[in-house]
Amino acid sequence: MPDILDVIVSRKSIRRYKPDPVPDEFIDKVLEAARWAPTGENYQPWRFIVVRDQATRNRIADLARLGSGSRMTAWYCMGHMQERFAGIEDPEKRAKVLRFMYSGEVSAFAKDAPVVIAVIGTLMEGSVDVPYDLSAAIENMCLEAHSLGLGACWVHGPVASTRDAKKFKEILGIPTGLGQYKVIAYVSIGWPAESRKHPRPKKPLEELVFWEKFGNKVRPRHG
Amino acid sequence: MDDRDRYYNHLLFRLEQLLYHELSDCASWKTELVGTDFIQTQDIQGSSEPEIIEACIEKLKAAGLAKDIAYKIGGKGILLTLTVAGCPHMLKEQLLREAGIKPYSCLAANMILDQLIEKLGYATTYLADMKVDAETGQCVIRAAIYATPEKIGEVSDWSKE
Repeated sequence: MPDILDVIVSRKSIRRYKPDPVPDEFIDKVLEAARWAPTGENYQPWRFIVVRDQATRNRIADLARLGSGSRMTAWYCMGHMQERFAGIEDPEKRAKVLRFMYSGEVSAFAKDAPVVIAVIGTLMEGSVDVPYDLSAAIENMCLEAHSLGLGACWVHGPVASTRDAKKFKEILGIPTGLGQYKVIAYVSIGWPAESRKHPRPKKPLEELVFWEKFGNKVRPRHG
Repeated sequence: MDDRDRYYNHLLFRLEQLLYHELSDCASWKTELVGTDFIQTQDIQGSSEPEIIEACIEKLKAAGLAKDIAYKIGGKGILLTLTVAGCPHMLKEQLLREAGIKPYSCLAANMILDQLIEKLGYATTYLADMKVDAETGQCVIRAAIYATPEKIGEVSDWSKE
């Protein structure tokens, strides 16, 4: 069995794409990876909507810009964004990054991604794990896209508020009842037009792992 | 506060606590419709921000859902500050704080923001901050209100407001 850690570790969230189309067989593979994600009691509540239409992607991008921008504008006005990006020393660069964030442009890349795949879950078939199952499917999609040389980004922000989630459902013709389908995110996919700095800083395992009981950072001898 | 009000506050506290446990800070974004069913039955009329906000405040006071609500608009027109006094849900907010959770859902604010969207066609709104003062019995809520998508990115320093 091959170790896929290299695929996992080298994956990056890609938000800039070349305009080149993504062949159907690649999309099929990404969807196939999603289909094999772990799912509680094998319910498989996930459904996927593959969107290539430019006008639809533009509407999704506009919604994304509105959602992220509305929050980040407020966070900037309260000083939170400045704290978050204080590590960027060059003031001009910092201002540019902040403007990119609070304008919402940071989330508007669906218009440039050749493919957007909405990930929704049925709430009508008794599954007890919908958000978790869908999250596992999305991770599989991102890893498979990366292993094919594609770039992908898991995007939750634009469907995070209840009103925005409803607007998103309306764009794609998904029934809007809160007891029908849950929209958890979409995944944008395309050929990467950026090479992000990697690896991004990750907390060391020593900070994240406890042994045998919460709080115990001393690794016991084994065997 | 009588037993019935205490009971309803305990229900809301427990629901918000559970929702926060599931969603962390995202819980606030998910609860933006809570309370809006009531205000939508109240036939709020108006064609400007002050008219809509003041009409909502009158209805809320008349229904006993606040003793008083003062408001101010600033921050290049996108900051709506609400000072709510005598809210029947103060107990809910206190219980959340005692449970280690920052209060995140103001029903009065939800209603006012809803009517800005429903009656004036605002592009979107966002409940940004909520300060609860149990001693004075007042909450101060800061919300971002965006009349049009072009208002996104209109930044200013809210600490100077």
